[in-house]
Amino acid sequence: MTAISDAIRDPAGPEIIICCGSGGVGKTTISAAIGLHAAMAGKKTIVLTIDPARRLADALGLKPFATRIQRVPLENLNIAKNWVKPPGELSAMMLDPKSTFDQLVARYASPEFQKNIFKNRYYQHLSGNMAGSHEYMAMEKLYEIFNQGRYDLIVLDTPPSRRALDFLEAPQKMLNILGHNFFMKMFKPYLKAGKWGFRFLNIFASPVLKAVSKVVGKQALEDFSGFMQLWDDVMFEGFSRRAASVKALLAGNKTLFLAVATPQRLPLNEAVFLSEKLMANDMPFGGFIVNRVHFLNSEPDRLTIDPDRVFKETPVDPALKKKMITVYRNMRKLAQSDARSIDQLIEKIGSNIDIDVVQVPLSDREIVSLDDLYRLARLLEQKGA
Amino acid sequence: MIVEDRGGREDPINSAEQEEDVSADAASSGAWLEDLLARRLIFVMGKGGVGKTTISIALANAASRLKKKVLLVELGDADSVGSFYDQTLAETPARLSHGIWGARVDARAELEAYVRAHIPSKFIAGKISRSRLFDYLFEAAPGLKEVMSLGRLWRWEQEGPRLPNASFDLMIVDAPATGHALSLLRLPDLLIKMIRVGPVANQLRAVQHLLKNHQKTAVVLVTLAEELPVNETVELYQMAEETLDMPAAAIFINCVYPDFFNRQDTRQILSLKTSFQNRPAAPEHRILACVVNLIRRQISQQKHIRKIHAKTNCHVHHMPYFFTNDMTLKEIEKLSLEIDRSVSNPSGNQL
Repeated sequence: MTAISDAIRDPAGPEIIICCGSGGVGKTTISAAIGLHAAMAGKKTIVLTIDPARRLADALGLKPFATRIQRVPLENLNIAKNWVKPPGELSAMMLDPKSTFDQLVARYASPEFQKNIFKNRYYQHLSGNMAGSHEYMAMEKLYEIFNQGRYDLIVLDTPPSRRALDFLEAPQKMLNILGHNFFMKMFKPYLKAGKWGFRFLNIFASPVLKAVSKVVGKQALEDFSGFMQLWDDVMFEGFSRRAASVKALLAGNKTLFLAVATPQRLPLNEAVFLSEKLMANDMPFGGFIVNRVHFLNSEPDRLTIDPDRVFKETPVDPALKKKMITVYRNMRKLAQSDARSIDQLIEKIGSNIDIDVVQVPLSDREIVSLDDLYRLARLLEQKGA
Repeated sequence: MIVEDRGGREDPINSAEQEEDVSADAASSGAWLEDLLARRLIFVMGKGGVGKTTISIALANAASRLKKKVLLVELGDADSVGSFYDQTLAETPARLSHGIWGARVDARAELEAYVRAHIPSKFIAGKISRSRLFDYLFEAAPGLKEVMSLGRLWRWEQEGPRLPNASFDLMIVDAPATGHALSLLRLPDLLIKMIRVGPVANQLRAVQHLLKNHQKTAVVLVTLAEELPVNETVELYQMAEETLDMPAAAIFINCVYPDFFNRQDTRQILSLKTSFQNRPAAPEHRILACVVNLIRRQISQQKHIRKIHAKTNCHVHHMPYFFTNDMTLKEIEKLSLEIDRSVSNPSGNQL
């Protein structure tokens, strides 16, 4: 049994698990496996994910492009034959930052305001494209679902990014922009109310403002200030209150962060960096899940073979034998490299016994069914095979 | 541990209908590579974790063998290129190896330089750069950072040949992961509509002109032969052509398993595996498990590779897997020879 598996299954365990890691390490699949693992232990669980692979979505029985909460049919599992009813419950939801942003505006703002802000080009950019909006909205959705109190556990699969840490920093950046009324304090003397938004009237009264408008263009500055004015009056309160609550929730004892990585240098370094950053900020860090490990837990000595002694009693074409041994040795090289990386990780963690390291072996097949995912979920219980 | 066989589902390895392997584009001689490296600016794009940096460096190596002076550019916060060379890249190009230089675009420094260039009064320019308003605009103004980064690339392209120290023939940009890279490249179109007049608008038009100049600028896509990266690549391929008007010049499929075994081999391997089924302690059992595992993953790779060939229409290059976790510069050098290899040996991707 691993501490991570225990935390996932424990009825008194964390209510939120956040899976972080750099892109391409299998975060979404691991998140789904964690959700299934909890559901099998009897918990009511939901997985919030960004963009699952088609096959994974199929495996979970999710309809594409739907952003509502969908139930995962646990009764489709092979082992379900012996159940009277499923032990727990698993749901999944695909996050769409743009629509989450729109919903949020709808919650706080009058219909008239909504109509105008949805048309504002800066809003469109902010909600759709801006770096950080995905991360911020994932946090928002998490908070909303947490407050509904319908689930024992929420698993959040963080947005894909090059650096694992982006997820933590982006919302703060976003809030600096949205929750800060600094802009208005700065500009108010120069603004005059228009029908919707404001116009710079006295732009030439401030040399700084004049210079800025010269660089970015007067019209851009006006569009921007129009957006900020709308935002400031209607949304500021709601946004900053929520931001503080989300932050408190993430740092609290109901949350557990897990770092997902593969045994390669860059993803592992990112995961270690992330864990250090989390702990430095007193955020609850639970451990590492190292995904796609070759030859998990094999003794290096056991892996050695003597080419002259294998296939002695079985006739094999010598050329084929040579190729097979080449493949085997290549794989062994990878296994040794993986083992070294993981040893280094364990060494770095040192004596901190609260940090768990779970290794998940590289599979030769993709996850295409719920049973495949269940098999993966079971692997979370083992330190190594 | 090798994940064991599972019942209940048809195993593609047993099916006699195993389709022919797709080999790299045999028809294309070296023309595509010459054509690609003759440009001034190459954006290397793809999903996180597919090996964009590796391919960027390999392309730089290939270009430097053609006696070109290359600038590897890192955009954004990460410094993946630098970490391969044990250097921290900065705004000023630094020499990385023979004929290859590296730089990291610092959008904020760019913006400050930009303000200085457009504000005649040094005093006011300085005041702006130090003001909180500046910090604020820098974070909040949509795309300002990105515009500045693109502007830097444009200026390198313009000034490049004139700088005594840095006359770059080619810039290779190790772009951020797909989503961010796309919004970056779409930005000039978007912002020109929003801003229209002023120095930023003029700058944007110049940048846009460079990006859409097919003789000067190319997009290269990198992927793994796996489901998600391939889907993203196919989408990106279409967007590059239709939305960005920056058609992909080549697709690199990274980490492709070499063809060790033909169909006859596979049949023999499977029958051997059966005969060792009940002897899990035998080394042969381990070897066979390993080999079967590789063949399975190869079959899966080929399926995804076929999809790329079917859905795209540019040069597709298969880069062999080196069975190593972390490519070193030495290995990337070897990998870069694989880019050239199709030139002399059109039959392609065999190790």
